[in-house]
Amino acid sequence: MADVINPGTGATPKQSFASSIKGIWCPGCGDWSVQAALTKALQGIGIERERIVIVSGIGCSSAMPHPFSTYGIHSLHGRLIPVATGVKLANDDLTVIGTGGDGDGYGIGVGHLIHAARRNINITYIVMDNEIYGLTTGQASPTSLLGAKTKSTPFGSIENPENPVGIAIAAGATYVARAFSGDPVHMAELIKNGILHKGFSIIDVFSPCVTFNNLNTYDWFRQRVYKLEQAGHDPSSMQKALERSLEAEQTGWSKIPIGLFYKTEKPAYSALDMTLQKGPLVNQPMPTKQQVMDILEEYK
Amino acid sequence: MASVSIRICGANGDGVESSGALVIKVAAKNGLHVFGYRGYQSIIRGGHVWYQIRIGDSELRSHGEGIDILIALNQDSINYQKSHLNQNAIVIYDPSKVKVDSLDSSRFVFVPIPLLDIAIAASGDPIMRNVVAIGAALKFVGIDIDAFNEVIRGMFGRKGEAVVNNNIKAAAEGYNYNGVKTAYNIKGDGKQRYALDGNTALSIGAYAAGCKFYAAYPMTPASTILQWFASHENKGVMPKQTEDEIAAINMTIGAASAGARAMCGTSGGGFSLMVEGLGLAGMLETPIVVVNSQRTGPSTGLPTKTEQADLLFVMHASQGEFPRIVVAPRSVADSFKVTAEAFNLADRYQCPVIILMDLYMSEHIESVERLDVDEVVIDRGKVVTENTGGGRFKRYLITDDGISQRAYPGSAGLEYVAGSDEHDEFGDLISDAFAGTDESIEVRKKMNAKRMRKMDTMLKNEKVFVPHVDADGGFYIVTWGSTTSPALEALEILKSKGQSVGLISFDYILPMDSRKTSDMLKGKKLIDVELNGTGQLAKVIRMNTGIGIEKSILKSDGEAFTGEEIANGIAEIIKSW
Repeated sequence: MADVINPGTGATPKQSFASSIKGIWCPGCGDWSVQAALTKALQGIGIERERIVIVSGIGCSSAMPHPFSTYGIHSLHGRLIPVATGVKLANDDLTVIGTGGDGDGYGIGVGHLIHAARRNINITYIVMDNEIYGLTTGQASPTSLLGAKTKSTPFGSIENPENPVGIAIAAGATYVARAFSGDPVHMAELIKNGILHKGFSIIDVFSPCVTFNNLNTYDWFRQRVYKLEQAGHDPSSMQKALERSLEAEQTGWSKIPIGLFYKTEKPAYSALDMTLQKGPLVNQPMPTKQQVMDILEEYK
Repeated sequence: MASVSIRICGANGDGVESSGALVIKVAAKNGLHVFGYRGYQSIIRGGHVWYQIRIGDSELRSHGEGIDILIALNQDSINYQKSHLNQNAIVIYDPSKVKVDSLDSSRFVFVPIPLLDIAIAASGDPIMRNVVAIGAALKFVGIDIDAFNEVIRGMFGRKGEAVVNNNIKAAAEGYNYNGVKTAYNIKGDGKQRYALDGNTALSIGAYAAGCKFYAAYPMTPASTILQWFASHENKGVMPKQTEDEIAAINMTIGAASAGARAMCGTSGGGFSLMVEGLGLAGMLETPIVVVNSQRTGPSTGLPTKTEQADLLFVMHASQGEFPRIVVAPRSVADSFKVTAEAFNLADRYQCPVIILMDLYMSEHIESVERLDVDEVVIDRGKVVTENTGGGRFKRYLITDDGISQRAYPGSAGLEYVAGSDEHDEFGDLISDAFAGTDESIEVRKKMNAKRMRKMDTMLKNEKVFVPHVDADGGFYIVTWGSTTSPALEALEILKSKGQSVGLISFDYILPMDSRKTSDMLKGKKLIDVELNGTGQLAKVIRMNTGIGIEKSILKSDGEAFTGEEIANGIAEIIKSW
């Protein structure tokens, strides 16, 4: 089965997955929680570290692969999805996790998000959404709220924020969740289930920037978020999921749902790809001279 | 050498392309040499399209000057092509559709055949009029009709006996039509040849090299590579049509990082989008192969016309400095060979290799006796699967040759993070916290030098980075890539006029071996021939060797050079030297 996560054999739940590199984030940054939650999720699944590839873009949150002792690619701004897709297509035995920010994934790279979702490629994409550009020191992001005052919108943003959860659902993602760095245990569970899900999973994480975003703070989120699991939400309904994705904006950001919005079972990309039915691409043999000559015969 | 050029003309939708492909196949199967090229536009119906098929008794280097046999499927064919007709050209046309009054009857041979009526009577299908005309053309050239029938059986056998018989019947009607007689009688040598265009040869070269992954966004004239991979998906390759060229190159980098041989392809506009990714491959030291099939630029330019104007662009694309290889195949057979080798070079030096095709090279069809399939070797370079040294794996170990050992994800004990930021030997970034410290300055200096050292290593270890001296003479044509073939033809034409001209042609252009290239060029009377307006190769030569080439034949009108065109230009230059 090409699209099944290998359960792993050698890893123990206690495997730390920590490298000798420390995260680069400011004290209090939401991304520390994401590191902890991702670690916990990986420990919960028990995949060997050599079979994990964490692919990131550029931005504060894209430094995520370095503190992990897994394989990683710290790629270009906005391009982690195609890089991660290429890794997964070449070796379907690997667990591929994308980590990046809202500027990276919802701004410059948003086109790739839609196509990864509709392909239902079996990767997990964690977006640390802090509603600001942090590493470039505080400009508006695609999820900055209307009126948000940032370095690039000193008189208040006049652009409506993107609805990444709604976009992901509409584009065909088969696992769409939202977490909050103030609740890393809840986040770890969502990430773990995302990784175990066969198909494209996205976890949008409210990950506050404590340095450049003084609007969307931990307290601001704490006062507004509620868990879908406790609200009787049915994640198998696309309609209901889309309705929930609109709730934050419709309530003037007074009620913001987190948790699992949508989950459905569809064949993952690798289950449909003709070539991958013969196993991971990297394990397939090089052609023989005879096979090349046979192809040449088509042109006689 | 004897040759004849047949040009089939009509509108898009008239079946001109499939008719041309059919004639090429018939000739190649019969021991004849063929060179086919088509003219078309960025439009699906209508327009004016032509397919020129030159058939000869020895190797052909271009689609030929002028038309010897014109199949005119509509009035435009006469109106637009009359200036290209050679003396005594045979004009095959349907008098109910096409008027030839505008042509001088003393200079041409008119062959009116009621193509449409015959087609409908023979098969009930009006499109068969092409086949009737092809039958007549084959008779004029002197190709046996049995040869045609054999190809038809091979091509349409699957579609059933009726389709085969209709084609055979229609062709026989034209072949035996009253007044149609053999005028050329070009004899083949009995060897069956492959009929291949450059993109097909390139694709087969990639396949032979074990390329498993090809990503592209559709763009003329590279799309047929994507289609080749798509139609051979059942042979163990993975074609991926991506949302844009940015995704194409980044997916290719991902697949290559995971250990698959991977390639992406596009034309200049798409290559522009790939530029940032090219630098990523340079920085991560990921072996990828990138095809740019050039068309007439800038911007959208002439999407269905050719040019060699992206050389300086691909040599310098992307910010910063990193090693890369640029190669432009000189023939269809060469497209196979350099592509197969491109994957070895990419793996050996862990850098991007750019294959510079152009529309002419991608699309023209040649009869090819053999491809160097036996010579293909697969060398994955420095790859490790186990951590034998203990300790943390240094993916970017600083070495004398600049090449470090590479590991694929899945190998235990070799985990590393590849970073687009500047990094140390482990791959750990030096950009975030420590940039500017004495230690980081030292790391940056060493890492940049390590990567660039690979260029020196290539020049030292590889034999391919010197131009070819194809012929010696009192004067030398200097050219590259696809213009090599018409240049070779020009030499023959000049020779027949008693002028001895040599040829120095480049396939591998970057890196250029300054010393060897300089030794080869200095003291010679050089004439630069390129299909661009500014002499880009000449600039590269000057940059690397200090040798300036004062005389040149350059053009950027969208059409490929013919041998005759180059020969005339050279004769003029020599006269005034």
